[in-house]
Amino acid sequence: MNNRVGLYFALPALIVLFMLIAYPVAYTGLLSVTDKTGAWVGGSNFAAMLKPKVTTQAFVNTLWWVGGSIVFQVILGTAAAVLLNQNFWGRAAIRSITLIPWVVPGIVAATTWAWMFHTEFGIINYMMTSTHLVAKPVGWLTEPNLVLPVLIAINVWKLFPFVAIMVLAGLQSIPNDLYEAARVDGANFWHEVWHIMLPGVRPVLTAVTLLLVIWALNSITIIYAITRGGPANKTLITPIQIFRQAFESFSFNQAAALSVMFFAVVIVIVFIYIRVSSAEPGVAR
Amino acid sequence: MNTLPRTAMLALAVSTLTLTTAAYAGEVVWWTPNWGEARAKELVEKFQAANPGITIKMEVTVSDGLPARVLTALQSGAAPDIIEVQHGWVNGYAQNDLVIPLDDTIQDANDYTKAALDYVSWGGKLWAIPYRIETHAIIYNKGLWKAAGLDPEKVPQTWAELVDDAAKIAASGVSGFAITGGGEVGNTIFRSLPFIWMNGGGIVSDDVKTAIVNQPAAVEAVKFYTDFYKNGQSPASTLQNDGAANRKLFIAQQVAAYQSGQFDVPSILKEAPSTEIGVFAIPHPEGKNTAAILGGWSYVIPKDAKNPGDAKTFLQFLSTSENQAFFTDTFPARISSMDADRFKDPILSVFKSMLPYGRPVPIHKNWVQITQAYFDGIQRILTGDQDVQAAMDQANEEIQALLDQ
Repeated sequence: MNNRVGLYFALPALIVLFMLIAYPVAYTGLLSVTDKTGAWVGGSNFAAMLKPKVTTQAFVNTLWWVGGSIVFQVILGTAAAVLLNQNFWGRAAIRSITLIPWVVPGIVAATTWAWMFHTEFGIINYMMTSTHLVAKPVGWLTEPNLVLPVLIAINVWKLFPFVAIMVLAGLQSIPNDLYEAARVDGANFWHEVWHIMLPGVRPVLTAVTLLLVIWALNSITIIYAITRGGPANKTLITPIQIFRQAFESFSFNQAAALSVMFFAVVIVIVFIYIRVSSAEPGVAR
Repeated sequence: MNTLPRTAMLALAVSTLTLTTAAYAGEVVWWTPNWGEARAKELVEKFQAANPGITIKMEVTVSDGLPARVLTALQSGAAPDIIEVQHGWVNGYAQNDLVIPLDDTIQDANDYTKAALDYVSWGGKLWAIPYRIETHAIIYNKGLWKAAGLDPEKVPQTWAELVDDAAKIAASGVSGFAITGGGEVGNTIFRSLPFIWMNGGGIVSDDVKTAIVNQPAAVEAVKFYTDFYKNGQSPASTLQNDGAANRKLFIAQQVAAYQSGQFDVPSILKEAPSTEIGVFAIPHPEGKNTAAILGGWSYVIPKDAKNPGDAKTFLQFLSTSENQAFFTDTFPARISSMDADRFKDPILSVFKSMLPYGRPVPIHKNWVQITQAYFDGIQRILTGDQDVQAAMDQANEEIQALLDQ
């Protein structure tokens, strides 16, 4: 009886969730195995998407993009949190300033960076050439080997404050006794970081990293606003390829096929990650 | 739970919906781009005065992201009654059954530039009414030509002369001829495909069945195009430049010449009034004709339009010779509209002389992806990843796969 009342309360929310999530997912699945007229075509959309080299290239780029972004976001964010957790004058102000990149709307940040990195008009090249750091303008967004790292740097800049603020919250929940006890035993600052702070924020880091992985896998704004995946697909990641396929090339069925494959890969990555990160709780203690 | 209130709620909801729909009768929703807003308002007032039973509701669009917005509206089932779209988009809509044929709406079809009508026809039917046509020419800065020791009245006619002049100007520290290699794909298609055409080649064969972009005619033209960057005559930022970026660099006196349409002229004169602008036809290979892509805008009526009948009446009003001449930003699609005084400005004469050389882009359901594959090839050349032949070989293979689908 009680269970059923609970279900009634949850029902409206479940219906909304079903309409907003389950239906689009199922419909995407249907699109991926049909053609424009709705006729069954089996795996031909999948085959058509897997054949071009660009699909592989986009997938490899996606791995670099996600990996590069996460590693630096977590390291930089955690380091910033540890620093902001110290006692110093003006701490509150600096904590607020740190948040700015995260608060700025993605499209605004991306467009601003695109201008700053522009080869001809950009302030970065202007400063570097006028101080004679470099002889001629650097093609930040056009050099094949430079452009993805530059975009990753922008993504790191955008999201490390989020990591910092979450980890900072975690750090503040660590009781002071632990630090005092460690100091009595002769621990220095690095010992505190390694043996008290990091183990203390482990659950926070796990959750935050999972979020970052999902966001990086989904992210379109920064790359699309700055390079649209170019030059020569050097910054094309799979979500942008899906977007292009659907909304620039009008082929929704092939876009759906690519989405389904991407969805499967993402599910596996997230699943492995959750298993690994929850497998060894004993180690941290 | 009591069923009565629920039924009542449903009934209320349904009747509200019906009421809202009913309110649409006699109203035509028209999506029109922002650059023609003032002129559009004037036309609407004229039309409403003559047709008291029909109200035109204008919704102003902007070019950025417009293809996606139009497509979303067409697919959603909640489309406006008339949309202004580029000629090149129409075929995709027609093939996906998103717009209705307008053979019964067009009047004096013989008075239209044939290439424009061809552009928006498919399967023997006409899917849009063109009202604006344009092609590129080359806009150049006479002052920078003089500064490089060139005679600004002696403009290059052939590829070799253009390369020569661009090199001389580049030696004076300014980009001699700016190409595009970034931004939206269409920018680079519009600027490089004509060179392939005038050299006798193409991206795809005339029957749109075979990729021919790795044939010698196309490869030679692509090399000619990309060499402007490779040889330092196009700006260092070429790989991120679209047409608008080239215009900015031209205004900033960093670029001496670039391809564009007449719509760039007013904004150059506004931002750099002292610049002495000239226009010349796009140079051709020795002994061959020039070519250009015919661009421009058409009206379509979506399949889900709520009021197609009144929309057609309004379209016929918009498409009169006089109104086309008044409304277009560049040139009108109707031949008789071209007689209007506003098209007699001398700066327009070269653009006008390019119109007969304007060709529609090939029609294929995967055309957007085909241009993307070609554009990726151009970018691989510009980044130094591949040489011209290798890049076009790869593009050819990808394009053939898209044609075979």
